[in-house]
This record gives sequence, structure tokens and C-alpha cells, in this order.
Amino acid sequence: MASPLISGAPGETHLLLGNEAIVRGAVEAGIQFVSCYPGTPSSEVPDTFFRLSPEGAYTFEYSVNEKVALEVSGGATLAGALCLVTMKHVGVNVAADPLLTLTYTGAPGGLVLLSADDPGCHSSQNEQDNRIYARLAGMPCFEPSSAQEAKDMARAALTLSREIGAPALLRTTTRVNHLRGPVTLAEPTVLPKPAGFKRDPSRFVPIPAFARPMHLRQLERLENLRALAETSPFNAVSGAGKVGVIASGIGRAYLADALDETGLAGKLKVLDLGFTYPLPEKLIASFMGGLETLLIVEELEPVLETEIRALAQKLGINLKILGKTPGPLPRFGEYDTAMVAAALRAIMGQPEPETACACGADPVVPLPNRPPNLCAGCPHRATYAAVRKVFGDSAIYSSDIGCYTLGLLPPLKAADFLICMGSSISAGCGAAKAAGQTVVGFIGDSTFFHSGITGLVNAVFNQHNILVVILDNRTTAMTGHQPNPGVDKTNLGDNPARVDIEPLVRGIGINQLRKVNPLNQKATVAAIEELKGLSGVRVLIAEEPCPLFARRAYGQKRSQVAYVAGDCVSAAADGSCGDCLNTLACPAFYVEEGRMAIDPLLCSGCMLCLQFCKNIKARKGDAK
Amino acid sequence: MSTKLRIFMTGVGGQGTLTATTLLARAALSVGLPVTSGEIHGMAQRGGVVESTLLIGCKSPKIGPGEADILLGFEPLETLRALHYLKPGGVVLSSSETMPPPSVATGKETAPSVDDIRAKVAAKCGSSCFLPVRSLGVQAGAVQSGNIALLGALCAMGALPFGKDVLAQTIRATMKPKVAEINLKALDLGAACPA
Repeated sequence: MASPLISGAPGETHLLLGNEAIVRGAVEAGIQFVSCYPGTPSSEVPDTFFRLSPEGAYTFEYSVNEKVALEVSGGATLAGALCLVTMKHVGVNVAADPLLTLTYTGAPGGLVLLSADDPGCHSSQNEQDNRIYARLAGMPCFEPSSAQEAKDMARAALTLSREIGAPALLRTTTRVNHLRGPVTLAEPTVLPKPAGFKRDPSRFVPIPAFARPMHLRQLERLENLRALAETSPFNAVSGAGKVGVIASGIGRAYLADALDETGLAGKLKVLDLGFTYPLPEKLIASFMGGLETLLIVEELEPVLETEIRALAQKLGINLKILGKTPGPLPRFGEYDTAMVAAALRAIMGQPEPETACACGADPVVPLPNRPPNLCAGCPHRATYAAVRKVFGDSAIYSSDIGCYTLGLLPPLKAADFLICMGSSISAGCGAAKAAGQTVVGFIGDSTFFHSGITGLVNAVFNQHNILVVILDNRTTAMTGHQPNPGVDKTNLGDNPARVDIEPLVRGIGINQLRKVNPLNQKATVAAIEELKGLSGVRVLIAEEPCPLFARRAYGQKRSQVAYVAGDCVSAAADGSCGDCLNTLACPAFYVEEGRMAIDPLLCSGCMLCLQFCKNIKARKGDAK
Repeated sequence: MSTKLRIFMTGVGGQGTLTATTLLARAALSVGLPVTSGEIHGMAQRGGVVESTLLIGCKSPKIGPGEADILLGFEPLETLRALHYLKPGGVVLSSSETMPPPSVATGKETAPSVDDIRAKVAAKCGSSCFLPVRSLGVQAGAVQSGNIALLGALCAMGALPFGKDVLAQTIRATMKPKVAEINLKALDLGAACPA
């Protein structure tokens, strides 16, 4: 069935995820080239492009990291293609180097960077506000607040970028990426084929002599863009009164609902900002005229607040500006309707409503948590169990970003520190060298390709002392089984151009290398013991496919399940019990009437626990 | 303001919470209601909690504490955990069949009993209905279809601005015939539950 994202007719309305709406917006703009590195909450954008690539008229790639993704599209736009580059917010840090010069050299075919920010850290290590990158790099910024706007602004940003020949930023937040709403489609634009690169060194080679005028042209471009922002349909004034509110991003949705909730709709003046940078100064100045109080509603950093304060000072407009410095709204986490409503009530002198929470004044009883866990049959559990057996608490575990970070929790406790993608190796080296401690670094296959390789080269060159465990589960599991250079299979078929990790590591000059299947505990423990006895840079490749991916992509069926044949609760004094309930913590384990049991529906048949305990045996199970 | 409706849904990763949410949103859109829904996942796929929302007449995809008109819990412990999202007098529909988190399954922590949860819910809501969601799903032909049984019960309670027929139409329009058949059966089984 053809997807409405590619072939939906103008005027049709579909319920779309924010990220699907971005795909449609790009298709309507005539998108020709898409590159990305996946990461929540951006992943459904590239995954949808990948899934639809057989029917779409664009080139798509999962790049090895965000810097590479932006550079690949940076080259494609020089050759005249209209490009979209997608990543999560922290990925923009990785891509910052090309980004800050691309806004000098320009994007002749057009290029939009999608930065999916994550206020509230739903699935991220920080909640940085990438609107600041628009200022740092000097590029226009669009911030949608609904699925329809996600589609419309993706299209508008791409079209604008092509017109001005320079990159634009589409900045979303988790709630926008992962909301669903009705989207009415429009007629796609058909672009001519990319014209190819045209030589012009003074435009495209930023040696100092050329870079200086490039910077001037970039500043001039920003002033022209400011004029466009003044009249953009994405920036709209409504309501009337002496109190005004300027809102951006998803804050606009909370504001709209809060105005309804408080009955203040129409009694305040509202400026919705969708095209948020460069700031439409004339529009804002005219909006501020006659206001006594202005509230700025924007999640995270006081970006608009600071700029609008400066604007008021510059123009000598005297009014009270409220936001986050000092308040009433916070500078961290997400907003919601109640928070914005409370701010409006405070400003308008309305009383707070009585507590509306159904939990009332009940003390919150702590409930057992349900933390995300490594799945039953996850090979990372097997690797961690083996490393723990050999090193226990004597090593520091330098972790990285992926499913395997979930090994943080007891009993595996396999993550002592973590900074960013690829840091396990380099930060692990530093930690080991500073005070001579034993460090084991864990890194997944996709993260290794992303930015682990450089750390490993550095480790060899600077003669560090570290055991690096590459957890190769043959896919990028955490973000939804996207391909990486090492995979044999993708969701669309075979990977014809596989990069093999072992010869790559050997090529760096590392011969202290062992490769194991971690589900074979004996061999894995032996390999770790052996590497523990050596010094310098040592690598263990623990290779076994993610069972969820193996089922889907390889059609893998496991015909056996584990069951408990004897009494198993905890370590028996006679050593007859391997205590796997407390050492492996597989989600298929449970305790019934004081005895350990294994749920045959949850057991994946990896047979790891059999190697820990004589009381666990295999039997034929339903193939699944 | 009376046209606003907020539904908070919660369940365990892999249960199909998001499928149920999307189905409900499509049904609402099919009768022309201004619908927004939201979901939080990412870290949630590995047996963690999955929360989603469906709002009619709102711009926000988010539901704050005390804002939900309806709480749909696909697992009773998660129903209790999310109870503070319910507004006073709101409606609760929940599965009565537990999926204990690992710490409870392995005897390291204890969870409140289902009776305990029922009592706590009853004290806070206007009306509630607990049904054996997984069993109904199995009875209909697939354990995951139990979620649709819960939606059937929701229709039967008259808590939605559209009827069971609209959900049935949406199921037929968006699912493969074989899967649709199972889910339509689950919808009927659920609709027969509320007293």
C-alpha cells in the first residue's frame, strides 16, 4: 500500500506523528537527499524515510555519526540537492564543527538541520536548548507546536533555505516529535535534478581571506531574514489588553489551553512565534507598545526573554518582562498547561483553583518501580555477568550510550560513568591513567562506529591501559534497530557493504584481541581472564545478535526454553545453586511459593542461566 | 470548555498501549473531533512504563496531574501509579491482571494487591471498571487485543463522545482483516463487561 506521506493527495487529512509530518513536509518541499544519525526523539523521521525509500524520490543514508551526516548533506547541497539532516539535540554538538562553517559557505541546493531537543531528559543525558545553535551558527530557526505545523514548517524551512542558499534550523522538542494530530496535505513541489557543483572558491573555500567576507554575507543574510520573520504567517498576534504573552514551540500549545482553562482567552494579548530567529524586532516592538506586563513562555533557556529584554532596553520601551529570570516559570524541564495557567493567574491576580488532583492530599506511597531492563536473552547481560565474574568491583566500568547503559542497575552494575557517545574508551583511558585504576570500557557496535574508533586510535597512540569490550549485537538496538556499518542485515534486506570490526581493530595495531559469543560463558570468562592478565590496550569483541532483531531480521527461532528442575531460590551453601536469580536478573525469572521459576513465555531460549546453575535445564518450547 | 476530554493511558512496554492510543485517535478524527495525542517512549521499550495521552479540544499533547477525565490502565500497578493524573470524579478503566515488575516477581519488593488497588481507585474516582484484559485478549484470539477490550468497555460506559461502532469502523479501516477480526471480537467482549 502506497504511503500517504509520499503519495497522499492535496487536501487529504491524516493523523500523523509529528515526525511523520516532518517527512511529509520534506516530501512536499521536493526533498532530494536525507542523511541522519538516529536518536530519540528524532528517530522516526529517518526511519520513515528509510522505510519509504523504495517509493520516494530521494537519496537516504544512515550516516555513522551526526558530523558525518551533516557533512554528507553539506556536500550534496553544494551539488545542488535539497537536503534534510536529522539528529537529536546532543547530536548537534557532534555536528557543530561543520554546522558553524556551513552557514558561511552556504547551501546552494538548500539544507535544513532537524534538531530534536529533549526537555525533561525523557531519553537523553542532558536537556540543552539548541535554539542557541541558531544564534551561534547564524541560521533561521523554526519551532513547530503541532503536527500540522511540523509539516508546514519543515516545508517552509526547506523552501526558505533553498531560496537563501544557506542552512536553516527546524527545532522540535520531544512532545512535538511524538504527538499525533490531524495534518492536511498540500501539493508537493517538483524540483529540477541537482545541477551539480559549480566552482567558486571565494564562496566555498573558507581560507581566512575568503572567510571574512563570508561572515559579513552571513550577517547581512540574517538581517534579510529578520525582515521575512516580521511578516511570516508563523508569527501571529491575537487578543488585546495591557498584559501580553509571547510564546514559542510547544509552550504555545500549553498557553492556548491555559487561556481556555483560566477564561482569559481574548483578555490578554498573545504573540505566537513560530519563525523564532532572527527575532522579528519590529513586530515585537509594536506588540510591546501599550503593554504593562509581558510574559515569555518558552521551555528551557531564557533565549527569547533575554533578547526581548535587550530589545526593550534598546528601544526604551518600559514594561515588566517576566519569564524565568527570576520567574515565575522554570529554566529546566518541560512546561505544561497547569504551569502556564498558574503563571497567567498570578499575573492577572486570579486566585489559584482548589487542588484538582485526584490523589488529593494522600501521602505518595512508594510503589515498586518498573525500570527499563535488558530484555530476556539480551547478550549484554551475558557479557556483563562474565566481566563481573572476573573483575567484580575491582574495575571501574566506563559506559557508553545504548541499550547496554541499562546494565547500570544491580545486580549487573556495569556502568560507573558516562559522558557522551564514544566516551567510554577515551574517558576510560583518562580515568585509568590518572590514578592507575583498572578500567573496563563498554561500547556498542553502532556507538563504536559513531565515535569509538577515534578513542581507540588515541588509546593505542598514547599507550593507554584499558580493556575495551565491544558489545556487538549486530544492530543499533536502542533507537529501533537501525543499520550501522557493521550489520549483515537491515529491515530492508542484506547489507552489501559491511565493515568488519575485528580487522578494523587489528588494523589499528591491536593484537591483544579476543572475539567471543557471550552466550558461551565459559569461553567468555576465559577470554576476559586472559585479557585481564595483560596490559595496554586490550579489546574483547562480544558478538551475538540482539534477540529482538534476530527474530525479525534473521527469522531466528529458538526451540528451547529454560526451566527450573530443582529447588532454586538463592545461593545454596553446598554450591548446587548458581544464584542466577540474584546475579543475572533476567526478566523471565520469578519467584513462586519461595521457589525460583522461569516464565516460558518470556524466556528467549538463550540458555545463559543453564551455564550458571545445575538446577536449570532446557526443554522443548513453543518456537517463537 | 465542556467539549474538552483528556484520556491518560498507561501500560507496560510491549503491551500495545500505543496501538490502542493511535486507534482511539484515528476514531476521534474520523468523526471530525479536534484530536491530539502524545506518547512518551524511547527508554520505555525494555519493559518500562509506557504512557500516552489523547486529548479532544486541546492543543497540548500533555496531561498534567489532576487533569485527566479518564484513566486507562493496561496494568493495575500502573493504574495506581498514574492515579494522580485523574481529576476528581474521573473515570478509571483498568486491567485487573498484574504484570509484576522484576523486583516484585523475584520477591525483592511487594506490590499492592489488586483488591488494594481497586479500593484506592474507588476512593478517588467517580466510576471505575476493572476487567481481565489479558484473558479477554486471549479469548478474542491474541493477548495484545486485550487493550481493545478495554476500549470496548470505555465505549459501553458512555465515556467517549462517539460509540463502539466508530471504533469498529476504524479497526476495519486500519487493520488487516485477520487482525481486525480478533480486535473486533475483543471490542465486543470488553463492551459486555461494565455492569
